[in-house]
Formats: sequence, structure tokens, C-alpha cells
Amino acid sequence: MERAVPLAVPLGQAEVFQALQRLHMTIFSQSVSPCGKFLAAGNNYGQIAVFSLSAALSSEAKEESKKPVVTFQAHDGPVYSMVSTDRHLLSAGDGEVKAWLWVEMLKKGCKELWCHQPPYRTSLEVPEINALLLIPKENSLLLAGGDCQLHVMDLETGTFTRALRGHTDYIHCLALRERSPEVLSGGEDGAVRLWDLRNSKEVQTIEVYKHEECSRPHNGRWIGCLATDSDWMVCGGGPALTLWHLRSSTPTTIFPMRAPQKHVTFYQDLILSAGQGCCVNQWQLSGELKAQVPGSSPGLLSLSLNQQPTAPECKVLTAAGNSCRVDVFTNLGYRAFSLSF
Amino acid sequence: MGAVTDDEVIRKRLLIDGDGAGDDRRINLLVKSFIKWCNSGSQEEGYTQYQRMLSTLSQCEFSMGKTLLVYDMNLREMENYEKIYKEIECSIAGAHEKIAECKKQILQAKRIRKNRQEYDALAKVIQHHPDRHETLKELEALGKELEHLSHIKESVEDKLELRRKQFHVLLSTIHELQQTLENDEKLSEVEEAQEASMETDPKP
Repeated sequence: MERAVPLAVPLGQAEVFQALQRLHMTIFSQSVSPCGKFLAAGNNYGQIAVFSLSAALSSEAKEESKKPVVTFQAHDGPVYSMVSTDRHLLSAGDGEVKAWLWVEMLKKGCKELWCHQPPYRTSLEVPEINALLLIPKENSLLLAGGDCQLHVMDLETGTFTRALRGHTDYIHCLALRERSPEVLSGGEDGAVRLWDLRNSKEVQTIEVYKHEECSRPHNGRWIGCLATDSDWMVCGGGPALTLWHLRSSTPTTIFPMRAPQKHVTFYQDLILSAGQGCCVNQWQLSGELKAQVPGSSPGLLSLSLNQQPTAPECKVLTAAGNSCRVDVFTNLGYRAFSLSF
Repeated sequence: MGAVTDDEVIRKRLLIDGDGAGDDRRINLLVKSFIKWCNSGSQEEGYTQYQRMLSTLSQCEFSMGKTLLVYDMNLREMENYEKIYKEIECSIAGAHEKIAECKKQILQAKRIRKNRQEYDALAKVIQHHPDRHETLKELEALGKELEHLSHIKESVEDKLELRRKQFHVLLSTIHELQQTLENDEKLSEVEEAQEASMETDPKP
């Protein structure tokens, strides 16, 4: 019996363009909806795609369930960072932060609720916003990025209340330390700074590259990723991925990973990290590599754990990076499938 | 419509005839032999045929009894299966609960492991620093040495003071002696001068 040969269909201009776009796409940020059933991903063309996790994970999932439910142009520049509140999706790109309603996003032709720009020193500057952090107790949003400052914005009024200055180079990542309400920020200048929000002062500075055990001068001193667990902090990037004890500011464990890591998070008793290699690495706090699970993108930029209590069946880890695909891991041991733009 | 009922009839007959292989045929034969027996004349033949018919009849009754027993057995098997099915459902529910329980225990165990690993990490760092007791002992030893040395210094200083005072006393005594000697010389010079002037005076 002859095997069916796929016919070579001549592609039109639009299809070629789309294929090229998908080849060169980078997904910078992801965010899970408050109900837990949808995942939004933002890419370097400024588009946001919403995928339905419950449809893709259900037993009768087809190929179309792995495509976005809706895709829209959110920003003119790349969408570097996204975060979800209980009703809105906040996305930030080159110099502005926009808000979208989750229920509206699933319909076509969704418009942003508001768009704010933090006050910059000169009007000529349009620095990118690399990280967004929600502070639920104060109902405010922290933005940090290219202008080396942390801006605090009140979510109800939309006004920018404070600016925390101290970094000498642009900021990559933010993390919230819940017990003593402090914010950690890590940036290109190689320092992790802890800020107390109540009196807007810099409480502690940890210059990671100055510690011999973890510094890797050939990679630089930039801090690409931060995660904190109130007493402990893990940070990586140019220097090696290290676990720090915050109160004594000492590096306790160094994870033997050569590639710089771009995203790290604590999960149960593990530390998950992803970066230049294609794998999601799982570390134990003692420094041992528990597992390395390969994904489908050549480099990973963001990890997202769907732990929303309203959708326990969609409890997955999603990883996205230098490709148009978002890998979905249902069990941390292997990649189940990939969603694609 | 006729075709459907035909099919059903054929199906039913096939089903029924599956058991006993020829019960239907036996009943047909019985009816035929009954008719023959009614029409037969002689006594002996009729008797043998009658006996044969009775045996066929009892065979038919026997197979019917067997079928009834099988039917009863099937009913009871069904009940048994229902019971087992319910038991299995209960044990499935029990297993679900145990799974949930075990999941909670896993979370707890993971938390404990995390705490232990954090403790280990801190302990490793602490081990790099020297032991507190030893450092305290060293500090004590150093303190004692310091005290000892300061005692020595004090005693040396005291000795120095004493010697200085003694020399001072010695020097001042020498000085006084010198003064006294000079005074004595002066006195003796003055006496000699007086004696000389007294000798020149008594001549006139």
C-alpha cells in the first residue's frame, strides 16, 4: 500500500510571514488566570495569547486545543512582564503598564482598561519595565526596569506614590518577602537590594559578585533571577545560582550549574530553575540536582506554576522561552505537551 | 415486518437450541410417536411405544428441571456479583481517601525535608567558623598572659622608681657632704687667717 505523500502547497505571503514570525518569536512572560483555567503568554512582538489549560489538559484534547483561544496586540514593543490580580491581567512593556480584564480578554476585540506610565526623569527616556510585583497587602504594584528605580503604583488610584532609588544599573527581577514586608530587587549592577516598603529605605545590600564562592567573572555580575522564601533567597544569573540565608547574608549552597539561569522559584521542598539550557532543573536545598527535564525551546526565560485552588486539575508547570512554544509539565518528571502560538 | 419477526424467531430458536442439543427435536419426535401410537393397533407394539414415549417425556422433564436449576443459579450468581461490585466500590472509595491522606503526608514530609536541608545548609556554613569553646579558651589564655605581662611591667616600673629614689638620696647625701667639706675648708681658712693676724699684733 502506498504511503500518502503530503502535497506541497505553495504558501502565500501571509503564511510565509506568519511562519517567519513564529520562528523568531520569544515568549518573555506568562501569567495564569485567577480561575486557574487559562494561561496568558506575552511575546516579543507585543502580542498576548490566551491558552485554555482546561481544554488542553482534558481527555478529549485535539490539536486545536493547543492553539491560543485568542491572540491580540497588547503593546507596540515586547511584553516583558505580566502579573494577574484577581480580576485583571497587568502587562508591562516598553515604558508603560496596561491592565486588561480577564473576562473581557476571551472575547475578540478587547480593549485595555487603563494604561499608565511611571514618571521618568526625562521625557525622552522610555525605559523597559522588566519586572512587575503585586503587593496584595497594600494593593499596589511595583514596577522595575531600565531606569534603575522601583516605582510603586497604587492600584486603586493609578498614581505613582514612591520611587526607590539605589541601583546603579537596570533592574532585572523583583521578589516579595512576605513575613517582614520587604521587596528584593536584583539588577545588572550585581547587587541584590532589600527595601522596606513602610519607610522606603534600602535595608540590606548583598553584592553577590564580591563573594568568591559564587562569582563567575567571565559571565558578568548581573543578577537575572530572584526568588525568596522569607528566610532564604536564591539568586542567579552571571554569578552561580546560590542559596543565601538572608539574616546572616551568607551564601550557603551553590548549585553547580554552568549556564546562567533566567528564572528561579521555590516549590515545596525543591528549587526549580531554568535558563540557557533547554531543561528545567530541579534542585534540592542541599545542592543536589534532583532532575533535569528537557523542554522544547533552546533557552527558557520564564516558569509559571499554576497553583490556583479553584482549578486543581490544571495544576501544571509551564515553561516558555526562545521559541513560540509553551511547554506544559503535568508531572515534574516529563514534558506532557506544548502549547504553541 | 415479517422478516424482522422471522429473524427474531430464528435467533430465539438458535439460542434455545444451543442447550441440550435436540430438545426441540425430542419434543417433535414425541408428538410424532404419540400420533403413531394412537394409530397403531397391536398391544405389544403399543406398549413398547408407550414405554418409549414415557422415557422421552421423562427425558424432557429432566432437561427442563436442569434448565430451571441453571436459571436459579444464574440469578444467585447475579446477586453475588452485585454484592462483590458494591464491596469493590466501597474499597475504591476507601483507597481514594487513603490516597488523599497519603498526599497530605507527602506534603508534610516534604516540608520536614526542606527544613532539614535548610538546617544542614546553615550548619555547613557554621562549621566553617571555628568552635566557640576553643576560641573562648584561647581568649582566656591570652587574657591571662596579658595580666601576667602587665604584672611584670608594674613590678619593673616599681623597681625603677625605687632605684631612682635611692640614687636621688645618694646624690643628695654626696652633695651635702661636699657642701659640708667646703664649709669646713672655708672655716679652717678663716681660722688660719685669724691666727696669722694675731701673731703680727702682740709685737709692739
